[in-house]
Amino acid sequence: MTGVIEDIRKDYAGTLSGYLIEADEEARLHAHELGRKALTGGIGVLDIVTLHHEALASLGEAGSLPLARAAEFLAESLTPFEMTLRGYREANDELSTANASLEQAKAATEAANRELEAFSYSVAHDLRAPLRSIDGFSLALLEDCADVLDETGKQHLRFVREAAQDMAALIDGLLSLSRVTRSELRREAVDLGELARNVFAQLRRASPGRTVETVIADDLLAEGDVRLLRGLLENLLGNAWKFTGRRATARIEIGVTQAGGERAYFVRDDGAGFEMAYAAKLFGAFQRLHSATEFEGTGIGLATALRIVHRHGGRVWAESEVGRGATFFFTLWSAGHGA
Amino acid sequence: MELNADPFREKRILLVEDNPKDEALTLRALQKHNLQAAVVVTRDGVEALDYLLPAGSDAVQPLPQLVLLDLKLPKVDGLEVLRRLRDHERTRLLPIVILTSSVEERDILEGYRLGINSYVRKPVDFAEFADAVRYLGLYWLILNTAPPVS
Repeated sequence: MTGVIEDIRKDYAGTLSGYLIEADEEARLHAHELGRKALTGGIGVLDIVTLHHEALASLGEAGSLPLARAAEFLAESLTPFEMTLRGYREANDELSTANASLEQAKAATEAANRELEAFSYSVAHDLRAPLRSIDGFSLALLEDCADVLDETGKQHLRFVREAAQDMAALIDGLLSLSRVTRSELRREAVDLGELARNVFAQLRRASPGRTVETVIADDLLAEGDVRLLRGLLENLLGNAWKFTGRRATARIEIGVTQAGGERAYFVRDDGAGFEMAYAAKLFGAFQRLHSATEFEGTGIGLATALRIVHRHGGRVWAESEVGRGATFFFTLWSAGHGA
Repeated sequence: MELNADPFREKRILLVEDNPKDEALTLRALQKHNLQAAVVVTRDGVEALDYLLPAGSDAVQPLPQLVLLDLKLPKVDGLEVLRRLRDHERTRLLPIVILTSSVEERDILEGYRLGINSYVRKPVDFAEFADAVRYLGLYWLILNTAPPVS
């Protein structure tokens, strides 16, 4: 930097003395060039003013010099600084504007989230109450008026009750789906093996008659939100449990493998499976690949699973063959998949 | 306010429920197990507070054995009723069970924070609902020992 300032000092004094004799365009352009050189060389405005002052002092008595012209020269050498400053200011203004619209967008998102929260809350409370009445009074009819109802009438009332309960299951599914989006994501060490053991135990308690061999790999440590990941395993293992329900004995395995160079967890079963042609539909809300008489369900479970994996910056996919089971894979925190 | 209570029965449940159909279903469930005679119903938060914390000293009802409290209530909602009951000497220890449709985490947390004794979600299936009400009645009226009234 000392080298640069020395070069500029000499050059400046020489060009300035020429300019004071004759104010030609070339000298003026050179002043500008010197300013630009100073700016890129890390030399400040005060240094320029100082060397301008020194140059003037070396040129003679102040009274004998055309000071207005000297000032013109100095101003020209300072324009690169001025222009850069203006550039910063404009960039800064743009940044402020961008920040303001970001703030606005954030406020709008928060408002939308609050609205969703209120909506879900209302659904939880208000949509279930009428269903309870439909179910309860249908049962009251079945109990109190059994002798005036024929078998068809009773069957109709049983269908009414079933429909009410199906809708309640749908509402619960939708609520848990929306809860995945609403809840704050925590990132901590999670043992998926431990979670799987709990979920399997829960499934066994719910259907003690089943014979299911469950296999849990050793190294299933992961990072994420333990409650959401538990929800994910409840959905995937619960599906495996459900779709092996027609088999005398079944096998469900949870493990980890490599896929596309990253760690992919998988849940494999030897159940009913599905046609790969419909694999794309699998993760859509309300999409079902089996009729309710084959396997019951709301079609929300895998949509919830997908959302949980997405919130963990991962991917989820499935492979299957009809009658030969299905394998669901998921990754967490994949490169290029933000939360 | 409607008194379904048998004055000769010592033990009673206060049901705070604004939905008349849910009220009918709850009473039906209790009736099945011969518990209906002991039920007093209030239909909003203000009624419930008036019953439990009457302004004057006359006509003070003995406290019920149990309050079954819904959360979504007209005028004063369930959590606010709970807050006021817990703030008051007379009802600070009164057994209160929230019986509601919601399993929203914040309702459950806030309920326990305010000192509920239990949180029960109303099942849609009436058979399950009746079971839940029966267990609650049996547990709180027969098995449980209430705090002594000072």
